[in-house]
Amino acid sequence: MHLVLANYFPVLVFLAIALGIGGAMVGGSMLVARQMPYAEKVSAYECGFEAFGDARRRFDVRFYLVAILFIIFDLEVAFLFPWAISLGRIGLFGFFSMLAFLGVLTVGFIYEWCKGALEWE
Amino acid sequence: MMNWAAASPEIFLAVAGMAILLFGVLLKKENAALCTMLVLGAFAATFVMVMQTVPQTAYSSLFVTDAFASYAKLLILAGGALTMVLSLDYNERQGIGRFEFPVLMLFSTVGMMTMASAANLMTLYMGLELMSLSIYVLAAFAREELRSAEAGLKYFVLSALASGLLLYGISLTYGFAGTMDFAKLPDAVTGVDGVSTGLMVGIAFVIAGLAFKLSAVPFHMWTPDVYEGAPTPVTAFMSTAPKVAPFVVLLRVLIGPFGHVSVQWQPIIEVVSIASMLLGSFAAIGQTNIKRLMAYSSIGHMGYALVGLAPGTESGVRGVLIYLLTYVAMSAGAFACVIAMRRQGKSVERISDLAGLAKTDLPLASLLTLFMFSMAGVPPFAGFFGKLYVFLAAVQSGLWLLAIVGILTSVVACYYYIRIIKVMFFDAPAPAFDTRSASVSFVAIASGMFTLLFVLALGPFTGAAEAAARVLFG
Repeated sequence: MHLVLANYFPVLVFLAIALGIGGAMVGGSMLVARQMPYAEKVSAYECGFEAFGDARRRFDVRFYLVAILFIIFDLEVAFLFPWAISLGRIGLFGFFSMLAFLGVLTVGFIYEWCKGALEWE
Repeated sequence: MMNWAAASPEIFLAVAGMAILLFGVLLKKENAALCTMLVLGAFAATFVMVMQTVPQTAYSSLFVTDAFASYAKLLILAGGALTMVLSLDYNERQGIGRFEFPVLMLFSTVGMMTMASAANLMTLYMGLELMSLSIYVLAAFAREELRSAEAGLKYFVLSALASGLLLYGISLTYGFAGTMDFAKLPDAVTGVDGVSTGLMVGIAFVIAGLAFKLSAVPFHMWTPDVYEGAPTPVTAFMSTAPKVAPFVVLLRVLIGPFGHVSVQWQPIIEVVSIASMLLGSFAAIGQTNIKRLMAYSSIGHMGYALVGLAPGTESGVRGVLIYLLTYVAMSAGAFACVIAMRRQGKSVERISDLAGLAKTDLPLASLLTLFMFSMAGVPPFAGFFGKLYVFLAAVQSGLWLLAIVGILTSVVACYYYIRIIKVMFFDAPAPAFDTRSASVSFVAIASGMFTLLFVLALGPFTGAAEAAARVLFG
């Protein structure tokens, strides 16, 4: 039991350091810097959208396209990490399987590029 | 050592599809017809490759190439190619001639070929999704048309639900049997204490998921709307190859890994079959739109084909394989005639538009008559032999009820098939149709020849179906 807990000690140290650095940064700027708050400055910033509000507001449909394209390459990265870690064990077969997958994705990427899906206007 | 060559037809077709996609997008000008030709060339090459495959199991027994898979693949490729030819002229006249159309059909075909070769429930699901995803897009291909968009969305939502059911069934099967390999499932199914309830529920869900793709009752709701709304070549496509692939998978799964417990799934298949035959024949009577009529007709045909699966015997499977072969030919031909129904540059699809066709266009009327007689099961056309073999198998196994319901509903179905013939030959003529292109005539005549002359080549086709069926019982 104690051995298991001891394994988690680095996490505790990490937490303490993170809290310490974060607290020092926020607290330090509160104590030392001049404070001039106004509406724009204190509002939350999230990718250009209001963070809290009605879900039924309008937004440009092109965000949707960007989101879909993003998901594909996000998933690709999710596949790449376990592949990179276990590369020593899966051998050439595993290596070329992933290359084939990346090749298919590249074909899709070229298609969407030529179709103008990446152009905003 | 991994045997790479086992899936070479599928790999070739997929790579060719990606190459054609790049070619089409980089060429930058109107090139739908050229890309369709390239895809047809790829199909022909794949056809030859499938004919030369040797029976083997590959990729850690995920994939199997045997006579059964080859028979199905050749049928899928032929069905896909016929409907692809139909799309050539239709898409151009409807203003939806874009090169993505043949490429999507090609990817759908790759998925179906993978299904035919599946030796593991995961391979099955992968193939099924590749097939379906392409068809969702194809159904909504005429995106400026409300009905087409509606058809695509409807098919997508309902089909996603069916895929969920299928996956649930697969996960239950895996949970209770501990394996997804078709080769290992029989041992798990016939364990020491019989079949567990969970496994039975799993099998039922797998059947439900596949029955949806077959549009068998009670999973048929989407069929009439999607058939009516989708562009006609897509409807023709959906009623040929994508019916064959789920059916052969159903045969392989139920006869192979679950063959020992046929007592358990037989009632399900019987009920689905009887319900499909009844609905297919009675609901079609009141239809005025020919595409909707064909939808109900295809529901009925799937019911008849399921009659051959219910006994779970070798002669039954042979009957189903012959049925599917004749059905693909009749369907492609009938839809070629539907595509030929154009007046002043507009596609018409009411049955009353066919009035007096025999006086304005006798060849087209004769071909459609041929297909309608064949679908009704009138000898000596191809459709008769499909029905004959499945009913024969049912009677041999003592499933009299199925055979009797089948024959009675065939009589009812005769009414609406022959009504079309009556409209064409005895009603006052409507204005003539536009001249049809050579490609549409080609498909109609080729399918017509096959339907008419099938009786002469009965031996070779029956032999091939028998060899394919024997694999499942070997």
